[in-house]
Amino acid sequence: MAPLFRKVLVANRGEIAVRVMRTCRELGIATVAVYSEADRGARHVREADEAIPIGPAEALRSYLSTGALLKAARETGAEAIHPGYGFLSQNGDFADAVEAAGLVFVGPPGAVHRLMGDKQAARRRMAAAGVPVLPGYDGDDQRDARLVAEAERIGWPVLLKPARGGGGKGMRVVRSSSEIEAALGASRREARAAFGSDTLLVERFVERSRHVEVQVVADAHGTVLHLGERECSIQRRHQKVVEETPSPALDGRRRRELCEAGVAAARAAGYRSAGTVEFLMAPDGGFYFLEMNTRLQVEHPVTEAVTGLDIVRLQLEVAAGEPLALRQGEVVSNGHAIECRLYAEDPSRDDMPSPGRVLALVEPSGPGIRVDSGVAKGSEVTVHYDPLLSKIVAWGGDRREATLRMREALGATVVLGVVTNLARLRAIVAHPAFAAGELHTGFIEEHAAALETPVAPPPLAVAALVLALRGGVRRGRRVLPDPWTRLGPWRIGGGA
Amino acid sequence: MRLRSTVALYEVELQAAKGEWDVRVNGEAFRLALAEAAEGRVVVRHAGESRTLYYARDGGAIHLFWEGVSYKLHEEREGVRRAERPDAGALEAPMPGRVSAVKVEAGARVRKGEELLVVEAMKMENALRAPRDAVVRAVHVAVGEMVAPGRALVELEDEGERA
Repeated sequence: MAPLFRKVLVANRGEIAVRVMRTCRELGIATVAVYSEADRGARHVREADEAIPIGPAEALRSYLSTGALLKAARETGAEAIHPGYGFLSQNGDFADAVEAAGLVFVGPPGAVHRLMGDKQAARRRMAAAGVPVLPGYDGDDQRDARLVAEAERIGWPVLLKPARGGGGKGMRVVRSSSEIEAALGASRREARAAFGSDTLLVERFVERSRHVEVQVVADAHGTVLHLGERECSIQRRHQKVVEETPSPALDGRRRRELCEAGVAAARAAGYRSAGTVEFLMAPDGGFYFLEMNTRLQVEHPVTEAVTGLDIVRLQLEVAAGEPLALRQGEVVSNGHAIECRLYAEDPSRDDMPSPGRVLALVEPSGPGIRVDSGVAKGSEVTVHYDPLLSKIVAWGGDRREATLRMREALGATVVLGVVTNLARLRAIVAHPAFAAGELHTGFIEEHAAALETPVAPPPLAVAALVLALRGGVRRGRRVLPDPWTRLGPWRIGGGA
Repeated sequence: MRLRSTVALYEVELQAAKGEWDVRVNGEAFRLALAEAAEGRVVVRHAGESRTLYYARDGGAIHLFWEGVSYKLHEEREGVRRAERPDAGALEAPMPGRVSAVKVEAGARVRKGEELLVVEAMKMENALRAPRDAVVRAVHVAVGEMVAPGRALVELEDEGERA
């Protein structure tokens, strides 16, 4: 059978570029990596069949440069471009430019990106299609008086959300009418600066909510399937850290309703390719459309682990124009999967990204363990890009087994030289509230004390270090204490 | 041997003791045995338990990985007086970025965890906080300045250190 494409350019870096190339290789598709000056010699570059430099470290002039990417595709004869996630993956103009250049964009059409990138338009479209949305206001009348009146109607607390935004910027929780005027001013200023538009949505703010989402995949022939849900409630800075499927909060009926809402949302959006419909779930089990991610999701491996499907492969098949060779009834979820995102960031310093060189790296393995990694020993973690190092996925027959395997896997993981969130991940999966499935988006704040990462090594660690440095190891060889060390007490460093 | 992290100082003494080792860290005694040793990795036995340590020297720093956390220490050489050390008590820029706020001035008393300044990098505002209760000896940057990693931003001294 002829491959879907002869050659695919992966317009991304790090673990996701490595992961996309793996499926391409499996399908007999040649791969082209692109890299900035900061990524010369990076893992995704080494694993590609060809690699093309596309500019300086600064993303705006490399991974975000449509011109440089299309030129690289032309020079290498790539037939399709896979955007991964982040960078240009949800940029409708990029999708259009790829198609206009006679290439295939592995993802939905530009118009779908633009529709779902506009929170106001997306909310209206979803509400019209019968997908549940939060009580809120998505109108064009943006005068203060109108927004205040709408907030009163919706009921406090409310959340102000930039209509064209994302990533938590400009969002504000307002708890009473006395706070709203100042909050409107601040949200508008931030929204205008970040997104060039100060249009705001007002929605009911739900305390202790969960984040659940539905993986969908649609082809160009009218088939839309869901691959089940994921729960991604454990977040910091509005970004996910631990994800799992199935959600421990759903029973069979709710799960069916949620997944059907996901399919309805994808249909209403005119979706094609793999995508994710995100919902907020209230403590009473009600769920409401948040937004749609028109791309491959970071946490897609948990869905792959329980369904046995390769979502990148499905994307490539759909992009090649093939109908999905799968019916909804054939999508079966088996067992439970958890993903932990290993970030080069410092939990004891507000999760600040922490660059450095990876001096030692041990990645876990074993039954049910999958690691999607973008780094290797010697890798430089720079400040230019997202600090995700790797994703550790544990599958088990049930949630308990998956959790135990994840604990083992995190316990076996070593990253030396770069500060990471590994200790926090270990503490999260060992926490009784995690075991009980009591998750909500404020989990990390609520359990902050139990999840704290030490800022300085304990004395025992320093004792072991000094022993390693001075006591027994010389030039990589173990030297057992020999007679001269037994002559009597002596002090290292002559009394330093 | 004297090691320093950004928030702690360790005085370490090592003595061989009948095939094992007595290690004192800031006066606290540990009896350790070296169970396995290879370049960059040792397994020590302490109180009947095996613990694994990864370590490496990189430039002037010593990195160690212990129970899920990677730490960086610096060895202090004898003869360098505390006040003369270039990094004594200095809070360094952890990454290149732009200083977007300075919240303290010289002479201010700060509490552990208090926000001292904000550096914008990777589209995020990163607050730099006091690693311990201290007095601000000097502020070396102003709002709007671009800083390189390792650049000393604020110098702290322990209360009473001036005397």
